[in-house]
Amino acid sequence: MIHSLFLINCSGDIFLEKHWKSVVSQSVCDYFFEAQEKAADVENVPPVISTPHHYLISIYRDKLFFVSVIQTEVPPLFVIEFLHRVADTFQDYFGECSEAAIKDNVVIVYELLEEMLDNGFPLATESNILKELIKPPTILRSVVNSITGSSNVGDTLPTGQLSNIPWRRAGVKYTNNEAYFDVVEEIDAIIDKSGSTVFAEIQGVIDACIKLSGMPDLSLSFMNPRLLDDVSFHPCIRFKRWESERVLSFIPPDGNFRLISYRVSSQNLVAIPVYVKHCISFKENSSCGRFDITIGPKQNMGKTIEGITVTVHMPKVVLNMNLTPTQGSYTFDPVTKVRPPLINCKQVFLQSLFCDGREGRRKSLMSWLKVKILTKPGEHTVLCSCPWLWREPHICC
Amino acid sequence: MPYLGSEDVVKELKKALCNPHVQADRLRYRNAIQRVIRHMTQGLDMSGVFMEMVKASATVDIVQKKLVYLYMCTYAPLKPDLALLAINTLCKDCSDPNPMVRGLALRSMCSLRMPGVQEYIQQPILNGLRDKASYVRRVAVLGCAKMHNLHGDSEVDGALVNELYSLLRDQDPIVVVNCLRSLEEILKQEGGVVINKPIAHHLLNRMPKLDQWGQAEVLNFLLRYEPRSEEELFDILNLLDSFLKSSSPGVVMAATKLFLILAKKFPHVQTDVLVQVKGPLLAACSSESRELCFAALCHVRQILRSLPGHFSSHYKKFFCSYSEPHYIKLQKVEVLCELVNDENVQQVLEELRGYCTDVSADFAQAAIFAIGGIARTYTDQCVQILTELLGLRQEHITTVVVQTFRDLVWLCPQCTEAVCQALPGCEENIQDSEGKQALIWLLGVHGERIPNAPYVLEDFVENVKSETFPAVKMELLTALLRLFLSRPAECQDTLGRLLHYCVEEEKDMAVRDRGLFYYRLLLAGIDEVKRILCSPKSDPSLGLLEDPAERPVNSWASDFNTLVPVYGKARWASISKCQGAERRGPELPNTASFATAGPLIPDENKERAQELPDSGALMLVPNCQLTAECFEKTWFSLKVAHQQVCRWRGAVHPDTLQMALQVVNIQTIAMSRAGAHPWKAYLSAQDDTGCLFLTELLLESENAEMQISVKQSEPRTETLNSFISVLETVMGTIGDIKS
Repeated sequence: MIHSLFLINCSGDIFLEKHWKSVVSQSVCDYFFEAQEKAADVENVPPVISTPHHYLISIYRDKLFFVSVIQTEVPPLFVIEFLHRVADTFQDYFGECSEAAIKDNVVIVYELLEEMLDNGFPLATESNILKELIKPPTILRSVVNSITGSSNVGDTLPTGQLSNIPWRRAGVKYTNNEAYFDVVEEIDAIIDKSGSTVFAEIQGVIDACIKLSGMPDLSLSFMNPRLLDDVSFHPCIRFKRWESERVLSFIPPDGNFRLISYRVSSQNLVAIPVYVKHCISFKENSSCGRFDITIGPKQNMGKTIEGITVTVHMPKVVLNMNLTPTQGSYTFDPVTKVRPPLINCKQVFLQSLFCDGREGRRKSLMSWLKVKILTKPGEHTVLCSCPWLWREPHICC
Repeated sequence: MPYLGSEDVVKELKKALCNPHVQADRLRYRNAIQRVIRHMTQGLDMSGVFMEMVKASATVDIVQKKLVYLYMCTYAPLKPDLALLAINTLCKDCSDPNPMVRGLALRSMCSLRMPGVQEYIQQPILNGLRDKASYVRRVAVLGCAKMHNLHGDSEVDGALVNELYSLLRDQDPIVVVNCLRSLEEILKQEGGVVINKPIAHHLLNRMPKLDQWGQAEVLNFLLRYEPRSEEELFDILNLLDSFLKSSSPGVVMAATKLFLILAKKFPHVQTDVLVQVKGPLLAACSSESRELCFAALCHVRQILRSLPGHFSSHYKKFFCSYSEPHYIKLQKVEVLCELVNDENVQQVLEELRGYCTDVSADFAQAAIFAIGGIARTYTDQCVQILTELLGLRQEHITTVVVQTFRDLVWLCPQCTEAVCQALPGCEENIQDSEGKQALIWLLGVHGERIPNAPYVLEDFVENVKSETFPAVKMELLTALLRLFLSRPAECQDTLGRLLHYCVEEEKDMAVRDRGLFYYRLLLAGIDEVKRILCSPKSDPSLGLLEDPAERPVNSWASDFNTLVPVYGKARWASISKCQGAERRGPELPNTASFATAGPLIPDENKERAQELPDSGALMLVPNCQLTAECFEKTWFSLKVAHQQVCRWRGAVHPDTLQMALQVVNIQTIAMSRAGAHPWKAYLSAQDDTGCLFLTELLLESENAEMQISVKQSEPRTETLNSFISVLETVMGTIGDIKS
């Protein structure tokens, strides 16, 4: 299914390759680079590229491209999902999925890839099981290893692979039995220029960390399960029970896992915790302009808001900006013309003067920005990630 | 990249690995091996330390073993003789008490990829299939497929296949899935693994125990099973119901496809399924992973083609957010275009209008075309928006708007008046060929309603000399002639000038011919011109530009969850066709075997069948570069494979001949001057299998005959014959031109 995997960094170096069947030459990536060149922006590379002999399915994660080489017809979602799982595993093992981390742990990376895929087919991808096969690197362990000469590879087979419930290993024992649930909800919204909501929706997940002995059978009930649309479950949840009683009943895996993910899409339930206002003006007869953004918390929410980041993409003609934030810090990246971020604030008022240098260019800048003010709805897309415990879960063992 | 100084590194590592002190110290030994691996991954050639690495494999340290095996799998094809030495250790490890070691050794042994290894791995694999640890069985089952690949695809070991079929009953779910994968690969020639009733039912019962990858694949395999009765069918659907709500989009899509195909005779069930997966699909469309999002959007479009209103209530889901990559935005615009209805048209158009002024020209143009598409149903609102866009006086916007107008007045004649009012002034902002053609066409066809039409066309005629696109000139000729019929007084002079230019000065033949044609037509009289140019226009109801009618679900069900929705059917057909031809054989037995109603697959197979005889024919490689020395060496080392004479009169023009040969990918190595006696030429060509054809042409002055001698690097008569026939054709053609 998956013939080979290439990891490519932003500057176009192939820094890792792994072949599961025959060796595919690196030159196959030229087609990928070609597409990348055509796309102008790295983020715009199409995920599926066809070449005379192969298909290249790629994902872009944390400034790295994971390019897989496929030789026969496959379900594209399957491969994309798997590549994300690979990236997730790296993230899980090394704390970050970056080029440096992968290069530092290249041996573990190869071990992982070897276990995750055999002959091109996914094998062990559950993080619990992998961690028993190959222990993740920690500072303590590397010190211990260097003293005792022991390895980071489990000497025994993971028991989970032999138990009747594939996601849980047998004979788990803890002295403190505890279970934690994190309810994380993200609001995706498009706000139009006058500040009213065009579209808003909550994407929620419940992540669990379960440290319970034996084979616990848990059930979790919600105050108002009707709010949840499109729930998708971890395989451990008994689907029939949810359908009939709206109760989550399951034997959990050991350790960290994602229990469910869901959406809340009815508009009136989604309250956006911040407001955004903006104003753009131009000085007559000069190539400069002024651009203000105000962001503040909505009063009725009753929760403090932290960690706000504002990112503004400016058009390419903008040469420079002078920024004066009322709170927090800022940077201007002249390459991508992106202006992040502001941190920890109750209310932000940001002023910036921008200029595009050459007078001749002015006309196009003017028209572009003017058009944007007049017509563009959804000019601000606010994406807040606000972790707070929303519904108290009720657990009974 | 071959690094300079890799020899030094190899030498140093070799020393370290041989050092008995290092070997005694486990940590230092392992570090040295890790360095070898690190260099290997950076592209250095580390095959020099193969011997030392083989020795290092005899250890109890499992990490060290893993590293050494990784190394061996990479370099074994380069050093097959040395790799055989390692097999002994590997075989010993295959009977280690630790199942991890057994599995590891077996997997490495199967991945050695070198000739002659089959005889050594057969027994360990058979033992592995009966191992008590499931980990080893998993490896062994896939090892069967690898062994089969090493054998070359010739014979299928019946006993092994039976063993694998019986392992489908294994306790371990991954062993079961691996069996399917392995059988599929081994039986590729025979159409893959066979799913009969007991196997299908067994798999269905095991489904909940599998991991998500296994579920997705088993669902795919189940497509081959055809339930005997309606009752059985609905039992299966009930069993699989929960997979439509799985957390993995891959499983959801595979389940959807299975449902659609199994229920092909029950359209209401199909619709029901599509309603059920609406939620998961929409969730995938707003997933964090943009690649997933993209693939899901492609499938949404596919569904919309059969159920146009399916996602209409969720139209806001498909509004673009500014940070999304282009490929997603373009898909979303297409989707928006298809789910417009009376209630949401206002909001959708408002949103699309926002996109029209996007910084990216491509995206802006796609949005304008989308508005044009919606205009077929909601003409007035769209034409108004498009007209407003013209006011921005942006080049890339204006040209697309004018093109949209051109398509629109043809399909919706009622909007002609509005379009004609919007057009004046556009000509200043159009630079590209497509836009100019559209504008000129509009001015020609509806010129009588646009007051300044003749003067705009006159401007174009003034600048016709500097016009670079012949298509624009052609369009200009037609348009001006049309306008001349309705407004003769204003156009006569301009038309005269244009015709004069086209006939006297124009260098492009097509334009000149068109000019001459119109000139002669005018000579035939004005009535004749009217009869030809203003005959009834094509009827919009012909449906040339109209959307294809709703297509039944069954027409695309077999393409669902494949790459077809990503590429679009037409493009996919061409891609897979050329890939299939290159691979010399139909590679997609799985799609073909469960094709139900999809017309694509049978068509494709037919095309393939026609292509196959061709693929055995001669294919000359376009740029085979052979140096003169190399040619000479090869020429003297080979015997003449074929010699013949062909008729030839007069002298040879080397340039003509060289050019003609170039066209058929035959390169000229050396050639005598024109008129030399005797005249000689040496040619070379290479076909796609790497076989060289070297040719000598010899023309003696006294007889009118060209002597051709061909030498071939690999003796194969059929390609030789086709090469000679190619050469003969060229020589014949050149000869004919002269005589």
